[in-house]
Amino acid sequence: MDRLILQTVKHLEDLPTLPSVAVEVMGLSRSPDVSIKAISACIHKDPPLAAKVLKLANSAFYRRGAHEIETLHRAILMMGLNEVVNITTSVSVLSSLGPRKSQEQGLRKKFWRHCIATGLIARRIDTRLHMSLQGREFVGGLLHDIGKIILDEYFHDQFMQAHALSLERQCPMFEAEQEILGATHMEIGHFLAQKWGLPPYIADICLHHHHPQDARFKDITSVVSIADLLAKAKELSCGGDTMSFILKDQQGWHILKKMGHPMDSIDLERITFEIEDIGEEVKEFISAISDQEAQEHAHV
Amino acid sequence: MPMSEHLSASQPGMPDEIFRLLRDFIYEHSGIFFSDNKKAQLENRLALRLKVNNLPDFDKYYYLLKYDQQASRELRALFDSVTTNETSFFRSPPQIQAFEEKALPEILEKRTAQGEKMLRLWSAGCSTGDEPYTLGMVIREVLGEKMSEWDVKIFASDISEKALKSARAAVYNDYTLRSVPPDIKKKYFLQEGPQFRVCDDIRMLVELQYLNFNDERRVKLMRGFDIIFCRNVLIYFDDAAKKRFVSQLYDNLNPGGYLFIGHSESLHNISRAFKLVHFPGALGYKKE
Ligand SMILES: C[S@@+](CC[C@H](N)C(=O)[O-])C[C@H]1O[C@@H](n2cnc3c(N)ncnc32)[C@H](O)[C@@H]1O
Ligand SMILES: [Fe+2]
Ligand SMILES: [Fe+2]
Repeated sequence: MDRLILQTVKHLEDLPTLPSVAVEVMGLSRSPDVSIKAISACIHKDPPLAAKVLKLANSAFYRRGAHEIETLHRAILMMGLNEVVNITTSVSVLSSLGPRKSQEQGLRKKFWRHCIATGLIARRIDTRLHMSLQGREFVGGLLHDIGKIILDEYFHDQFMQAHALSLERQCPMFEAEQEILGATHMEIGHFLAQKWGLPPYIADICLHHHHPQDARFKDITSVVSIADLLAKAKELSCGGDTMSFILKDQQGWHILKKMGHPMDSIDLERITFEIEDIGEEVKEFISAISDQEAQEHAHV
Repeated sequence: MPMSEHLSASQPGMPDEIFRLLRDFIYEHSGIFFSDNKKAQLENRLALRLKVNNLPDFDKYYYLLKYDQQASRELRALFDSVTTNETSFFRSPPQIQAFEEKALPEILEKRTAQGEKMLRLWSAGCSTGDEPYTLGMVIREVLGEKMSEWDVKIFASDISEKALKSARAAVYNDYTLRSVPPDIKKKYFLQEGPQFRVCDDIRMLVELQYLNFNDERRVKLMRGFDIIFCRNVLIYFDDAAKKRFVSQLYDNLNPGGYLFIGHSESLHNISRAFKLVHFPGALGYKKE
């Protein structure tokens, strides 16, 4: 049974795909001398995508200045190229895998709440530690568990079994997945991220967010691993593993500390209390992306 | 400004220097600190003491506390007046749940492995008893039939005689029971008209006593606890008093023991000795 699922996933022909423009944008952004014009022209080839990116850039969530950002060109000037590419990546993945109106119930909804909360918390940690991860921490947090979507979509019954097992045994989800499915959401997520050509740091986070020690991009993976735990502690989990933990004993914490980040100065209690209100921000983000959907339909 | 704060207008006023003297006196004797912006509150709370003692002004009251034969008796009354005894059963449910589902089972397992079925809890600042009785109910629920195999004691202490008196009576109104799950309410309370009495099975687990946290000698004697609840008490202290008392609580715990403070309180700038534990929906502090 071992590895079987991973093999199966690799040969699935109807796996969701990423909008081709997104793939192109990510490719472009990797070349050192890419121009603002080239990126905005590329995103414009997919008008709904362009509209969503602009909408998100103007949401309370990303908005920096007082004035509405009306063009992608301006968005890139205001927010920087990286952040716009990040938004494009998030929006694209969400449109391929994200919450549909019909799925807004139950686990799937909880799942996206968890992912968005993880992204938001990762961003707070980045700010607190002055790490300048430039929004990659948010995207990483947002996408760290995408493997679960595939498991839920294609192996629903077994995934539910794993979920029940993790609850019953109070063990991490990935242990239960390993036992019941013979593969973990980390492996599946990693495979998908690679197949889609997502930036390497995202693939890395997908694979190693439960053991950041093994990661290539150790700093950002550690940040996401901590954010993941904190999101769960606030009941923003996607079911299953709601275990207690000591943050200062976690791999991610030790890694960041070793790298010289001022971990002891972090007011963990305060961060934890602040997360209590994060539910509102999560809702805001969800409505920012689903409003667009609604609006789009209205335009068609 | 709340209505009650206006009442003091008809009382003799409290000059700033007397406020400072009284404030320092209270702080020295209890750790409870009234900052400058709490002057109206203190004035209001002590107005009744003036009346009871038939005193014309706060100078005389300060003199009474400081030099009178009756001072020690008045001190207890003073503590009744300056403490806030707000509490309820199953207060901050996620914390109670963390205790029930995580901390308590862990301690029970450890004690069982050590071959010593003994459990020692302390509700420090227990007010009218809602908290220690809640803990007793949870322990009974968790242990079930095994309860008789265990030696369980919940020490519960407070500085307010008045609160302790209510705790001893163990009779409560519906409002303080608002967070109690219905099956628990049925099982552990006897209804007496509009009121509810905690049943003897729970009362016998709890040992109530007067204890002032400022009484270092006596606090030191409180040893060997598996879990301490000191919720919504430290907020009335200043940082220095918090630090002193929390480091004492650390010593009062067994290795592996847990401290729970109020759900929005923090030890971030108070103590580095504990390890912060994230339970689902609640924080706890562990002594390693
Ligand atoms: C707001 S009540 C909290 C009751 C309960 N722990 C809870 O969380 O619901 C605070 C209690 O701490 C007690 N307290 C304040 N200072 C104290 C001191 N120095 N020594 C002992 N108890 C004190 C007060 O008398 C009061 O009953
Ligand atoms: Fe995960
Ligand atoms: Fe996660």
